[in-house]
Amino acid sequence: MSPKENPSADSVKDKPSQCQTQLASADPSAPGITTSRRSFLKAGGALSMSSLMGAAALMGQSGDVEAAIEWAEHFQKNYRLMTPEEKAEARARLERRYSAEYDKKVSVDGTESQPGVLMGYALNIRKCIGCRRCVKACVEENNQSRGSKPGQRIEWIQVLRMERGEFSQDKMDHGYPEGLGIQVGGNAYTPAGQVLEGQYFYEPEAVPEKDATYMPIACMQCEKPPCVKVCPVRTTFREGDGVVVIDYNWCIGCKMCMNACPYWARRFNLTTPVLPKEEMNPVTHYMGNRPRMRGVVEKCHWCLQRTRHSRYPACVEVCPVGARKFGNLLDPESEVSLILARKNVFRLKAEYNTFPKFFYFYD
Amino acid sequence: MKKLVFHTVILAVCCAAATPAFAQEAAKQEAKETICFESRKGASEITKHEIKPGLPNVKCSPTTGATLWYGDPYDGTVPMGKMPLLDGIPEGKAVVRPRSEKLNLLGMCATACHNGVVPPGFPKHKKPVPIPTMESLLPEVKNLQHGRGRIWCLDCHHSTKRNMLVDHFGDPVSFDQPQLLCGKCHGDKLRDWRDGIHGKRIGEFVSTGKKRWFVCTECHNPHDVQDGARNKGFVQIAPESPPQLPNGMKDAKHESVHGIAH
Amino acid sequence: MQQLTSFAADYTRYVLKGGTKFYVWMGCLAVLIVGMMYVFYLQNTEGLIVTGMTSQINDGLYLANLVFLVGVAAGAVTIVFPAYVYHHEGMHKVTVLGEMLAISAVLMVFLFVFAHMGRPDRLWHMIPPRGIYSFSSMLGWDVLVLNGYLLLNLVVGFYYLYAKYTGKPVNKKFFMPLVYISIVWALSIHTVTAFLLSNNPARPMWFHSMMPIRFIATAFAAGPCLIILAFLIVRNNTKMWVEDSAISLLTTIVTWCLGIAIFLTLSEVVVELYARTEHANGLYYLMFGLHGLTNLVPWFWSSVVLMISAFVLFLIPAFRNNTKLLPVPCAMAFVGIWIEKGMGLVVPGYIPTPIGEVTEYYPSFVEWLLTIGIWAFGFFVLTILLKGAIGILQGEIKYGGQAAAVK
Repeated sequence: MSPKENPSADSVKDKPSQCQTQLASADPSAPGITTSRRSFLKAGGALSMSSLMGAAALMGQSGDVEAAIEWAEHFQKNYRLMTPEEKAEARARLERRYSAEYDKKVSVDGTESQPGVLMGYALNIRKCIGCRRCVKACVEENNQSRGSKPGQRIEWIQVLRMERGEFSQDKMDHGYPEGLGIQVGGNAYTPAGQVLEGQYFYEPEAVPEKDATYMPIACMQCEKPPCVKVCPVRTTFREGDGVVVIDYNWCIGCKMCMNACPYWARRFNLTTPVLPKEEMNPVTHYMGNRPRMRGVVEKCHWCLQRTRHSRYPACVEVCPVGARKFGNLLDPESEVSLILARKNVFRLKAEYNTFPKFFYFYD
Repeated sequence: MKKLVFHTVILAVCCAAATPAFAQEAAKQEAKETICFESRKGASEITKHEIKPGLPNVKCSPTTGATLWYGDPYDGTVPMGKMPLLDGIPEGKAVVRPRSEKLNLLGMCATACHNGVVPPGFPKHKKPVPIPTMESLLPEVKNLQHGRGRIWCLDCHHSTKRNMLVDHFGDPVSFDQPQLLCGKCHGDKLRDWRDGIHGKRIGEFVSTGKKRWFVCTECHNPHDVQDGARNKGFVQIAPESPPQLPNGMKDAKHESVHGIAH
Repeated sequence: MQQLTSFAADYTRYVLKGGTKFYVWMGCLAVLIVGMMYVFYLQNTEGLIVTGMTSQINDGLYLANLVFLVGVAAGAVTIVFPAYVYHHEGMHKVTVLGEMLAISAVLMVFLFVFAHMGRPDRLWHMIPPRGIYSFSSMLGWDVLVLNGYLLLNLVVGFYYLYAKYTGKPVNKKFFMPLVYISIVWALSIHTVTAFLLSNNPARPMWFHSMMPIRFIATAFAAGPCLIILAFLIVRNNTKMWVEDSAISLLTTIVTWCLGIAIFLTLSEVVVELYARTEHANGLYYLMFGLHGLTNLVPWFWSSVVLMISAFVLFLIPAFRNNTKLLPVPCAMAFVGIWIEKGMGLVVPGYIPTPIGEVTEYYPSFVEWLLTIGIWAFGFFVLTILLKGAIGILQGEIKYGGQAAAVK
């Protein structure tokens, strides 16, 4: 189960080894590490302490990963109810654990939502070519579980391939159901247009294909999120800037939110995430891309570690066709506001009254 | 016409001399460097390097060679320069990656043949004429589909400054600012591009933030606007790998079967 | 106080003693329980990856059994209600057995809750003041009503047994209100569990208001079926005699509830398949398969066959009144409803996913072992509770009656 065993770790051997010293933010606008007050030595001491206590507490869990968990992490409160000091303490604790686990200086940011910001997303569905670069960028940025065993890999964005449809003369005679005298055209079941019945595992030589359209789907950051309503421990909640986040340390893994989400945006960590040290993104946010643990739910959070510092989400930056747009809905000059003002926009499954802040549009 | 052919020969010789040297250099670089393409293959590319210890400027896809992640969105950029109706952007907030770097024959074009003077034998009228030199250099322009026969080379390229494009008034336009040219016809796209609706920008999303703007030709090849296998204004590229099959599923063949049997 | 300690001591001493049959039975169950504990440990070290659950189908056997067993627990009210509201003589004598069944069913529900969770070690997050209790969550309400039901049954059941043990009359002022509350409460546990599923518009297969009444109907068929089986076993193996009138009343309840359940199922089929909208995909998958994937089709049709043939057998007086043959339709109905509410309701709710991905559910060995182990635990507890209760009802354990306790 340890990341070392992961075969994909070998493929990145040629990369330069990660530094042990202070690692600056990958985001040029991100702040430096704010909470790493303790020395590495002290972290080491806490580590051995925790391994003793952790062994007693955690039903015989062993190995580096579990050993690094500090006792106090098991008993911390819901992040939202913590005082600013407790929050800083919780983040510092995590920074110690992650830095030890991933052999590099990991920062856990806690920047709160900024006033005057309501994040919004727009996707030009006509432009999408289904290349899945957003999916992989998301994985690079957000420390999802990799791995090769079934159930180990997690991707937050799904790209749906839909057929353009082919209406044909041949089908005209095949009405359905036959013999009952009910008029259903033979072409009735020809798929056409944007429907939620398509392919997720498509693998052509090249995209876009002539006979297909594509639709990426991820968390819609609903203004009225059904997942938040059903959470029995309020570990998933809507932040001030409109992003629905999860306190992974408080999640009990009951999966009720996964039942409630109409967009299948949530993923379950079936096992301890497989995250090779070299591939781990050390610039993290407490509510965002910090490494998760076994048995908790995770989902897209619009790259909170970036967007809280004004940087575009990772998927926006890599989209080769510029189909993905992100901005502040309260700013009339933002890309998203201009799209809402000028283009024809729709929300996926608007009939659910979840009021997503993720908009699809055509141009 | 004879003069034009003569020039062709000279240019071809020049290129023949220059190309192998260039290719060799590129091969040497590839051995130790990872280069990933940004939007489309063959257009803008980024060489992977470390901006700080342990932090790469880009991460590339091991399967397709595409850029998957930007550590530094402003890597190798220069200020965009003046754009009409965009003069409200503070200095340095809008940057681009220079296109001229990539278009490596540009320097030679201006010095070897089109050194600012009208070449002898240059047609006096505005009608298109075949230019065998250029067609041999750039095969894709032979049957130029852009404009479906209504435009030709000199509608976009400056007639005497060949490392420049041209605007409606005959004034030269830099290859780093193709939007000034493309907007001549694609006005609606230019408008959307200015507002960030069309095209792509990376960096800071706030409207006052610093952004790297992608210019038209980083995503579109104006010489090749149509090919058989696609139906969008974007060239075909290889997709990244599909998601992992859920536990227990052997394959995804069921996806190609239609939902209801009938 | 002294009475209370002697009650506890006598009770424990009595239930721990038994014949070879008793020890063999308990030993087998204990082996299964040990197996269950091992796979539960696996689940909590390796993660739920050892089960057949995925992000697409995020619950399976565990939630299915949970839902079913809530029904069994609620089914105990089919004894309590006739006994106390209609003063049914035969029922009144065995009411406490129904309460014991409810207790063990709720305990099994709790174990299934732990089994399906990703982080059972964090369960305290639900308990104030340090944890957070959310009133907006149906799961929160479910936990509340289930705990309440367990408590009510423990109090009502054991107070009654204690009163019998000491020989004092039951304090009606204290006892009767609790009984009435527990009757209503029984309905609430299954209603809230139905809401747990049906309040998810994202899952069209579950999202209809027929769900609570369908749950109640199936619960009042499956619960009494198990009770009848238990009564027949008690009657044949212990000194306690369960009257025919009690069993025949239960049979009547089963018959009509089963009929209503079948009617509701067929209504759903007609409503969903007549229009055959996209929202019927789940049911369509269950009945005929979707995109060529047909794992659940045999489950559904076997459930339909079991339920309908059980209903027909219940309608035949020769079967209904013959206690030798009665276990057959009872077992058929029980299994049929178990499939209908488990594999037939929980799993197709996840297929396809809300965005149309069709996958299939393959429960793993770990899941089966854990499921069987929890059932074994339930029967283990039920055996003990029934044994103690029967001992007291038969007067074999009595305050001051040491001789009886020793034997």
